[in-house]
Amino acid sequence: MILALDPLYLTNIGLAVVLIALLKVVLAFAIVLVAVLFMVWFERKVIADMQHRIGPNIAGPWGLFQTLADGLKLLMKEDLVPEHSNRFVFKLAPFLAIVPAFLTFAIIPIGGNFESKGGSVRIFGYDTYLQVADPPIGILLFLAMSSIAVYGVMLAGWSSGSKFPLLGSVRASAQMVSYEAALGLSVLAVILQTGSLSTHEMVADQAAGGFLGFIPNWNIIVTGFVPFLIFLIAGTAELNRPPFDLVEAEQELVGGFHTEYSSFRFAIFFLAEYLNTINMSAIIVTLFLGGPSGPVLIEGIDWAWGILWFLVKLFVFLFAFVWFRATLPRFRYDQLMDLGWKLLIPLSLGWFLFLAALNIGNDRGWNPGVVVGVTIVGGFAGGALLMAAIRTARTERISQEVDAHG
Amino acid sequence: MSAVFAAVSTDAPIFVAQNVFFAVVALLMVGSALKVVTTSNVVHAALWLVLVLAGAAAQFILLGSEFVAVTQVLVYIGAVVVLFLFGVMLTRASMGDDESVAGEKRSMAAVVAGLLLAVMSVALIDSFSDDRVVIDQPQLVTTVADSIFSQYIVPFEAISVLLLAALIGAIVVARRD
Amino acid sequence: MLGQYLPLLALLAIATLFSAVSLVMSGLLAPSKPTPPKLDAYECGIVPSRDTPARFPVRFFLVAMIFIVFDIEIIFFYPWAVAHRGLGLFGLGSILIFSFAVFESFVYLIGNGALQWGPLKQVAHPDGSVSSKRTTTTTVRRVGLEDRIPGPVGTEEAA
Repeated sequence: MILALDPLYLTNIGLAVVLIALLKVVLAFAIVLVAVLFMVWFERKVIADMQHRIGPNIAGPWGLFQTLADGLKLLMKEDLVPEHSNRFVFKLAPFLAIVPAFLTFAIIPIGGNFESKGGSVRIFGYDTYLQVADPPIGILLFLAMSSIAVYGVMLAGWSSGSKFPLLGSVRASAQMVSYEAALGLSVLAVILQTGSLSTHEMVADQAAGGFLGFIPNWNIIVTGFVPFLIFLIAGTAELNRPPFDLVEAEQELVGGFHTEYSSFRFAIFFLAEYLNTINMSAIIVTLFLGGPSGPVLIEGIDWAWGILWFLVKLFVFLFAFVWFRATLPRFRYDQLMDLGWKLLIPLSLGWFLFLAALNIGNDRGWNPGVVVGVTIVGGFAGGALLMAAIRTARTERISQEVDAHG
Repeated sequence: MSAVFAAVSTDAPIFVAQNVFFAVVALLMVGSALKVVTTSNVVHAALWLVLVLAGAAAQFILLGSEFVAVTQVLVYIGAVVVLFLFGVMLTRASMGDDESVAGEKRSMAAVVAGLLLAVMSVALIDSFSDDRVVIDQPQLVTTVADSIFSQYIVPFEAISVLLLAALIGAIVVARRD
Repeated sequence: MLGQYLPLLALLAIATLFSAVSLVMSGLLAPSKPTPPKLDAYECGIVPSRDTPARFPVRFFLVAMIFIVFDIEIIFFYPWAVAHRGLGLFGLGSILIFSFAVFESFVYLIGNGALQWGPLKQVAHPDGSVSSKRTTTTTVRRVGLEDRIPGPVGTEEAA
């Protein structure tokens, strides 16, 4: 296996290389901030459209600078730290929300010529990948960051010393923790196909080959659609976005875990939320839709095409997340937990084992029909076992309730 | 630990930057570890513990074991300390300092900790003092997989039984409501 | 090799710095006139009546506990997934045994009702104690409708 390594670091490491690496970091930071500004505007505008409203239209052309105006306004608002709060943790929590969100963006390949140059572009005479870092454990960094993001939510709610934030954060952290398992299991299907954890390798793997000349070799097709669906659902839940936004169910919890936050501390939570939405869309694109890979149509500006394809694919999911919010009613907490634990986790586990058996069977020349057959039998057996367990739990609980109430 | 010190010895190549990073992170870890036991707020203690564990992850990265590092973050920071915090928050979410934490058992705890440190240092130095970690080549995930599924296959399968026991224990404890 | 983690470190520093600087700026620009009602816990405008709940259902704790088990299981899957083609049938067999053991404990867990949330609809009327003739129109007494809905109520009053 080739060690995934940015060609930038293969040359002699000098001042130029350090400067390019630093430039990439600063650029990524700037891109992220601008992207968040426009994502907020985009969401408000699309939701407004879907509800026959106009949406923001005063600040700047088509209200484009509305988010900037809101940000400036929040900067000048009074910053309150509640009396009963734990001040140190209260002030720490926003950092724990925003920093992992920024770090996740670092592993996302946002461009590069995957057709002829192995996903690199040329900047100032140096070949490099268009991503801040490409560690060999790439995608696990995303999972690690999302497990750290739980802290931001959990500590924000606890340290507020108020009942609604605490309720919201307890709900949220249990939800995020539950769906992290489903998220991790559905990523495994992609790793099986790529044989690497590096995000760059994943894109490079999807860029090569294809079926019938026009169907791309994207993991959404190769892994059989199910992991993609599970990842999309679990990702939405991990983001605490509608229809899984029980964290800040306004009707019951006021504002959820950040009820007590005001001024720029609130703005940081808001920023982190939208940044995570962009990250999640980008990760979905990277894992399942071939990231920035795509045909280079005009040879001279080959670097631009990767970015273009990436943006087009990214936009689809950003729109989808807004669309979910405009369309789907909120889940109940028991429905949410049942969906995560009793459907998504067993299903993704089974699908992972099925794909692995197919791969190994393929290497050893087994009949794929036999593998599918065995999987169907095994799946039914597992499903029946699970159903039986659920039924047992329910009948036991019914008999308990009947005993209690006569 | 001793393996890292060994890397500084004369015949091995010296990685200045790595050693500087090691020292910084190690100092940070020691400081945080002291805060874990001296702070009188349980949640603060858990957060300092997170810092210690993150430092351990950073040390693994310095040793080129990236997979172990990320495992450290995912399992210890992302799950175990979250469980601690859940336990604290769900039972007695006291905002202020907890007097009962800083009890008179401190001296006893210090003695135990000192003994533990001595035993572990002796054991580690005794068994690994000649070993050397080769840092010029990072450890591949495939290497980890190969050693789990050949040399350590029995412990690996035993872990599944251990996890089973842990789950049953959790149920038994939690179902007493 | 390890140099590629330095950009991550730089990004971490920039992100932290950005948050810190903007918070400091906010502190300089924003007014600060705290009053007791502002600093009190938010409770939709009323004076907070009770303390925050000190205890939560043990189920939340159980979720975190179960998550640890699954997290460890998934962690072992990653290296296997990367190298599964090289490990072949032996690897598949050992991972199947491993997953079976964990799945089994998962089933036991669910069978014990560890992941049951919310109300049970079936328990509402366990033994048909409520007659099917009772509907909202027969059980809910309407009051204060006089003069509003023409019909039986109004005619009664006129009579």
